[in-house]
Amino acid sequence: MTKSIKDDILKAIREVPLISPSASQLLEISNDPDHGLVDLVNIVKHDAPLTAQLLRIVNSAAFSRRAEITSIDRALSLLGEDMVVGMVLADAASHLFDSSLEGYGGAKGDLWEHNLRSAVAAKKIAAYSKTRVNGDTSFTCGLLHDLGKAIISDYLKNTPAEIIPAIAQGKFNNYSAAEQEILGLDHAEVGLELARYWQLPEPLPSVIGYHHKPDQAPSEIKPLAYVVHLGDIIAMLSGGGTGSDNLFHGLVPEYVDYIDLNNDDLALVVIEVNEEFNRIRNSLGREGVEQ
Amino acid sequence: MANLVVGVGDFAVSNDPEDIIKTFALGSCVAIIFLHKTSRTVGMVHVALPESRIKPEKAVTMPGYFADTGIPAILKAMNAKGCVTGGNNMIIKLAGGASVMDTNNTFNIGKRNILSIKKILWSLGMGPTTEDLGGTFSRTVTVPVKTGKITLSCPGKKDWPL
Ligand SMILES: [Fe+2]
Ligand SMILES: [Fe+2]
Repeated sequence: MTKSIKDDILKAIREVPLISPSASQLLEISNDPDHGLVDLVNIVKHDAPLTAQLLRIVNSAAFSRRAEITSIDRALSLLGEDMVVGMVLADAASHLFDSSLEGYGGAKGDLWEHNLRSAVAAKKIAAYSKTRVNGDTSFTCGLLHDLGKAIISDYLKNTPAEIIPAIAQGKFNNYSAAEQEILGLDHAEVGLELARYWQLPEPLPSVIGYHHKPDQAPSEIKPLAYVVHLGDIIAMLSGGGTGSDNLFHGLVPEYVDYIDLNNDDLALVVIEVNEEFNRIRNSLGREGVEQ
Repeated sequence: MANLVVGVGDFAVSNDPEDIIKTFALGSCVAIIFLHKTSRTVGMVHVALPESRIKPEKAVTMPGYFADTGIPAILKAMNAKGCVTGGNNMIIKLAGGASVMDTNNTFNIGKRNILSIKKILWSLGMGPTTEDLGGTFSRTVTVPVKTGKITLSCPGKKDWPL
């Protein structure tokens, strides 16, 4: 029985619309450590709806400029890369981000807010990595990390009321283990499959797949996997979860081998993440239910 | 009637029986709810971190962000509404301070918040009468000023009283 649910889910991934060419190019470029803003401009310039949308945002009330911005170069440098990538992805995967996460008892907007908060936190955490980790890649991985939930949510209807007590009784170590038991795979694996189906460049698919178990990631992506893992944990601690699974995930203690972060650093990161998250969310005008 | 939504680091005080004070999705943050019996005033502060020394300039604009500045700030606001804070006239309740499953407690901001809040309350001769703290789930807190009856909620769970 489990096998057939798993097959259904794998089939459902293949029915998700592909992301637009400019979205996948932007993700590819953003992931390249040597890229500059000019590379992003070159992609956006060729996508008229995207150009229009970026100009609309940069001229919106949130930025309160005196003079109207009409050049895309200027718009991109004002918005910054995070905002552009965030906006493009939000748009490309809007049908997933708009999921009400019924199987998690969530609400429409939760997934977007949680992923955005994780993205902001991961980028901050990247600065504390012992080896160099690309902040932009960390941000993108954060934005994508829980998208698998949008696909499996439909198969998890009415399960939170069973899963939560089962975790409390020690039947499952965490929420992902419950997903595994019920579906034969968890949201991280589904996210990995989705990212591969979208042909996103490595390390994005792998990091999505290992975001709850960075200790098991291949060594070359471990530092990034830990960065995204901690970004996710910080987002969960803020209360900005995705419904019933919210804090039922483990912190992998070996992060200390990869990330140099004391209590005071963590407290500062929490403040900065809240401020930056609010800034981006308000600018993008993609508000969740309530906050 | 107004819904007073208390964001992270904010606080609200009301004695209008039509108001409902609410804070959403407390993770490691802690909501401290003050119920002033004789004046039927309710105060709520949403504390994110224990100590303001980490970023004093934040405490200037948002004293509620930290336990050590948030508690004096809300008590002052309640005094300004005519609550005499002292004696047995104040009921204090705490909710939040959750954590992820963190065996070594290195990310346990919730626990540090709770400890700091209690120490400060004790130093003022106060203490919580009721609390719903810790665990690995978030809490949304709703208090209608009229009744002062606090409801907690969390996705996937039935609502419960505090
Ligand atoms: Fe996850
Ligand atoms: Fe997550």
